[in-house]
Amino acid sequence: MELISKITLILDLTTFLLILGSTIVGVLIGALPGLSSGMAIALLLPFTIYLEPNQAIAAMAALYCGGTFGGSITAILINAPGAPPAAATAFDGFPMAQNGQAGKALGMAAVSSVIGGIISLIVLIIFAPTLAKIAYKFGPPEYFALAIFGLSMLASISSKSPVKNLIGGLIGLFVATIGVHLTTGISRFTFSIDELFEGVSFVPVLIGLFAMSEIFVQASKSELLLERIKFSAIKLPSITEFKNCGKTILRSTGIGTFIGILPAEGGTVSAMIGYNEARRWSKNKENFGKGEIEGVAAPEAANNSATGGAMIPTLALGIPGSATTAVILGGFQIHGLRAGPYLFEQQPDLLYTIFYGMLLANFIFLVFGLLGAKIFSRISLIPRGFLWPSVFVFCLVGSYGLSQSMVDVYIMLISGVVGFFLRRSGFSPAPIIMGIVLGQLVENSLAQSIIIFDQNLFMFFTRPIAMTFFILTFLSLFYKPIKNLLTERKSK
Amino acid sequence: MRGIAMTKKIQSLFLSFTLIVTSFIGLGQVATIAVADEFPSKPIEVVTHAGLGGGTDTTARMLLIRTRKNLKNNAYITPKKGDGGNKAMSYVKSKPRDGHTVLAITPTHLFRMARGGAALNIDDFVGVARTTVDPIVIFVNAKSPYKTIEDLIKAGNKKPIKYGGTNVGSVDHISGLIFAREAKTKIAFVPFEGGGAIMTNLVGAQIDAAGLNLDEGKDQLESGELRVLAVMADERLSALPDTPTLKEKGINASFATVRGVVVLKGTPADTIAKLEKGFLKAMAHPVYQNYLTGAGLDASSVAGSAAWDAEIKKIYKEARAALVSLGLAK
Repeated sequence: MELISKITLILDLTTFLLILGSTIVGVLIGALPGLSSGMAIALLLPFTIYLEPNQAIAAMAALYCGGTFGGSITAILINAPGAPPAAATAFDGFPMAQNGQAGKALGMAAVSSVIGGIISLIVLIIFAPTLAKIAYKFGPPEYFALAIFGLSMLASISSKSPVKNLIGGLIGLFVATIGVHLTTGISRFTFSIDELFEGVSFVPVLIGLFAMSEIFVQASKSELLLERIKFSAIKLPSITEFKNCGKTILRSTGIGTFIGILPAEGGTVSAMIGYNEARRWSKNKENFGKGEIEGVAAPEAANNSATGGAMIPTLALGIPGSATTAVILGGFQIHGLRAGPYLFEQQPDLLYTIFYGMLLANFIFLVFGLLGAKIFSRISLIPRGFLWPSVFVFCLVGSYGLSQSMVDVYIMLISGVVGFFLRRSGFSPAPIIMGIVLGQLVENSLAQSIIIFDQNLFMFFTRPIAMTFFILTFLSLFYKPIKNLLTERKSK
Repeated sequence: MRGIAMTKKIQSLFLSFTLIVTSFIGLGQVATIAVADEFPSKPIEVVTHAGLGGGTDTTARMLLIRTRKNLKNNAYITPKKGDGGNKAMSYVKSKPRDGHTVLAITPTHLFRMARGGAALNIDDFVGVARTTVDPIVIFVNAKSPYKTIEDLIKAGNKKPIKYGGTNVGSVDHISGLIFAREAKTKIAFVPFEGGGAIMTNLVGAQIDAAGLNLDEGKDQLESGELRVLAVMADERLSALPDTPTLKEKGINASFATVRGVVVLKGTPADTIAKLEKGFLKAMAHPVYQNYLTGAGLDASSVAGSAAWDAEIKKIYKEARAALVSLGLAK
């Protein structure tokens, strides 16, 4: 029971306050579109040299947890996901806020985040060295199969027409091709704009498609139609509602922890797949995208469990499981520490500090999130004429702040206009986002696989993990038609 | 009536406050102009080409911690991402040549210049200090049949070696191609998104070999999952005393991930000297030295203006020759 006795590691006042502070800063930074927890950690890195190594790393880990949760707040309230992993949260969170259920959405986000976060941490502390090896089993062919599995859900990701979802997905895939091609070095659709060589940055597109297009939608509504949103906005979810989401939360936690381990997109991909699976298995399928509470629980449990998941290869192998954990690894370097198998054998105290630091962070943002839900949800009561112009300022600053580039601001504005017209013609932003998120992964991993397989695509059949995903893809696409066919025959 | 009086009072208070503040700003400007000849007269801007938290960013931040104290001046980082460092270079080009704008340079910039069409040429810079040197080490999977570099070369002649590295046109790519040419073998280059992905795929035996910085594969080397065959450097690494260099094997391919800082040519010599002194003192401090150790490097990473300036010119020349001979530049 070494694990339990080690809780004393974070019980001194400085460490506790550091974790408390980092978590709250993380939530706030995560909530602001364009500022990410990874960025915050990078900026704080040089200052941590004045701290004890254990404290510094615990603070960074806490900031990571807080930041992942924080993204959901703005996603729900103003349709501006504070960070890419929270994109899927906006799909149902914002409609809930518009229906006068902001408090419920925020409360559900906090609780499902914490459940996902804590379960993934327990997996981390017990199984990390074993599970980390999964990262080695995933080569380009496996990533390709996983990405294809993700893309197979495009048609059904929103309740809009499947054809429109597919078109949206293709638009997303197209945007993902902009930039220099990984394996050939040829630049595509860059028009000699330097900023586009490394591809279109995701965050400005995200802000544009969600928040900016929402501003246009709001502006095009007649002010006379404004309904006074009921006071129920600040109500938290009921126990029954939590219970009903139990299965969804657990499923998403499993998905999030697993995908988090894979050193790829981490939180964003797991939130998308978590959302999709929730929709697939839900009784209220039609309600998704219109304000279904399960649609908030699923991505939030998934993206927060991905934080614990992403820490697994980071700590056990020294391979970052996400962009933010890459920065945390930088923090290790600054303190002369090393992650990897070495950490588990020789520095167990550091490991326990990280574990308890993240655990504590989860409880802190649970309290902060639930208490805050009552306050934050009042934002949805602000008259539209005041709220949306301020959101516009947020959009500008958020897309500029990322890399201090005006090109990103133009990308945001263009995405906003395009998003507005697409939404008016009955498209949902969800498949577009999905296409962008998976586009690069699917293309790069295929190109790499082709080189590895010596141009022989039949080699995919020699990869059991890849084949499993291909079979799952096949089933998810053809399960219904086959079932329908069988029942038809029976009835004859 | 009282309301109006109140408003007037607040207005006049606000006005006088604004006036006071403005006059202070004015004073500040006069003061700056007075000492403008004395370097540094305003905060120093370090321009990077990479994202926050990456190697270049972290190195620059660690460098600045003590530099601020040494130069008794503030310093900050401006990231300008895009087109292999070209965005950062064109930004620096637009700035005055007074030493207040410093470019953090890497082989990425040098290769970008060597490809042609970059905003600046190699002769537009003066090297101020080198911050890190990290030679490229050839790694293979420990379970692979390749025990020596000769084994790998021989295998490549039968079937191209699947050789992992970062993006096409990068120092990883060019060094792999030059190694193949000089060693008379063949490689099939597999580009990945970063060092972590390369290492994972090497351990997972997706690829045969890879050029990595020592630190990127150190843990897996120690745990017996990877093996090192050779170092792309002129001299053996102190951390790998038993690993031969390619030079020893008669293969002329020395490549390293080097980082350093440069300013535009035309910057006054005494300004460069002041900057150099400030940077070198900062890098001698334990804060920076501990960072180097953590990254698997040592004090030999640091070099002054003369040595660094000569080195970037040499790397550029070699990069240019390599790109031309490979048909990647005219």
